[in-house]
Amino acid sequence: MIRIALLVAAKDLRIERRSRVLLWQVLPFGVMALVLAGLALGPQHAGHSSAGPGLFYLVMLLVALLMINRSQSIESSPGTKASVATLGLDPAGVFLGKALALMVELWLMGIVLLGGSVLLLHTALRGTLSALPSVLVTLAALAAAGALYGALSGGGQGPATLLPVLSFPAFAPLLIAGERSFSATLHGGTIWQWWVISLVALAAYVGVGILLYGVLEES
Amino acid sequence: MMKQLSQRLLGPVTFVLLALTLWLGLWVTPSFEIQGDLARLVYVHPAVAWVALYVSFGTATIASALYLWRRTRSMLVDRIAHCAMEVSVVFILLTLITGSIWGRPAWGVWWAWDARLTSTAVLGVFALAYLALRRANDDPELRARRSAVLALLAAINVPIIQFSVQWWKTLHQGATVFTTDHGLKIHGLQAWTLLISFLGFTMLFFWLLRARYRLEVLRDERSNALVEEALVQRRREGVR
Amino acid sequence: MPDADAAFDLSPVAAPPSKRRGRRRSIGVVALLVVAVLALLSQGLLHSLNYFETVDQAMHSRASLGTKTIRLEGVVKPHTITRTATGASFWIKGGGKEVFVSAHGSPPQLFQANIPVVVVGHFTSRTSDTFYGTQIMVKHTASYIAQHPKRVKAPNGTTR
Repeated sequence: MIRIALLVAAKDLRIERRSRVLLWQVLPFGVMALVLAGLALGPQHAGHSSAGPGLFYLVMLLVALLMINRSQSIESSPGTKASVATLGLDPAGVFLGKALALMVELWLMGIVLLGGSVLLLHTALRGTLSALPSVLVTLAALAAAGALYGALSGGGQGPATLLPVLSFPAFAPLLIAGERSFSATLHGGTIWQWWVISLVALAAYVGVGILLYGVLEES
Repeated sequence: MMKQLSQRLLGPVTFVLLALTLWLGLWVTPSFEIQGDLARLVYVHPAVAWVALYVSFGTATIASALYLWRRTRSMLVDRIAHCAMEVSVVFILLTLITGSIWGRPAWGVWWAWDARLTSTAVLGVFALAYLALRRANDDPELRARRSAVLALLAAINVPIIQFSVQWWKTLHQGATVFTTDHGLKIHGLQAWTLLISFLGFTMLFFWLLRARYRLEVLRDERSNALVEEALVQRRREGVR
Repeated sequence: MPDADAAFDLSPVAAPPSKRRGRRRSIGVVALLVVAVLALLSQGLLHSLNYFETVDQAMHSRASLGTKTIRLEGVVKPHTITRTATGASFWIKGGGKEVFVSAHGSPPQLFQANIPVVVVGHFTSRTSDTFYGTQIMVKHTASYIAQHPKRVKAPNGTTR
């Protein structure tokens, strides 16, 4: 299962490296969304607002939707589906591989957008850097959930609006946990319980994905 | 024959129970300490919430689980899951609306982001997502499988809603009937009226489910008939 | 010329024990999920999602709260309610502590003495114990007692 996961993850990341969709389409979208968030707050509030962490995660959610759709559309392409079926790849391994690749991509986007939140939303540099570990854990949980819900929504073949409708109720607790731990790091407060919620969500989505991904993909 | 009799009686029994609830709740039972007549919504809101969370969502979840288990997989259970989930959406919306109507004068707000209300709203979104997912797939088996998985994922929310008032400090009050110390917090005629309302709304769910299921069967039959007709026409064109 | 049969081994290959492995994996995953849920349900974690702070909790963590906006829950002390032009002022109590609340805006219909309330607002300064409220919500109980003109009230004002 692990070997297949690493193979699938490497395949997805290789495709991304060659196509550069993340670099030329998703990243500019994310940065623009942060700019719009700053504009929406207005000059009076952008410098002093405690909304920075929430807006960062909101933008990350939108970015994650694009990336989950892209990840699933790779899987839905005719050649890939036939190959996976013919090779008899363990669906749990495929799920873990998709989640791993998505996690790496989200981490890269997250690091860039954290920089953006320091510049545009004026979150404190030190606090933002301290929040990096909790952000990475939350994004890992988001990746696992995204790989599962991406398969549920039928990948790139379903209507574009289906993935947000399916996944937002599931992403909501991750959004809350991520925002609270980021805020607590910036403004003070206990963060360990938010860490645990994110870790538990990660374990839960990985577990559920391993159990049910095969059911979603069987033909 | 028993089956036909019970099907025929379902509608009238539901009507009688709901009418009894209305009569007792509005005219016969006394008003309440502190909340006065406002709390007469106790004969509607808890019953509707009970049906939304356990009866209808529970039916959809069990039917979905049965579909995923190969031994019991069939289009019958898939249809039941789908119809039960549609009725669930209605009851979840009614729960939120009646709760809101009660909350405004009682709490002072239409809505609060406390654990119970938020998790119930999330359940409603999950139910809508289920219906959206069903519309997005034409292949019956694929559609059935995916919606069954989503129903099971959404069902995780139900114990969270149930225990939210015990686990966290919430604005929403705790249980009145299924309390932790097994003591009832409502008595006499009011308790009996509450019980009748629970029975009435549960019967209403089964009545709605039956009607919706029949509609679904007719829809499938019509769809199959249209496909057959189209195929016949295509064959005729081929012969010409 | 090489023998065709020797070049390709066409004997049946035994299927991998995927069913047994799959069952073990499922049990392992379910066990992991149960542990994860139990970890989440442990007391300390659950408190992080509380809708409000009780009076004694707020007074205990007064220093860290500062003038941050919070929701404060307590029972309205009898004979302390004063209706003002802009709202109401009253004392709320909980866990042996008391806080003076000065609330802006008209209280809800059920607002009265001896009723639990949740007040949204903040302490007026880091050292003051006066709470400035912007919204009052009444937290009514789950008990439904019929109104009766001759009902006996306990000395603390409650009824059964």
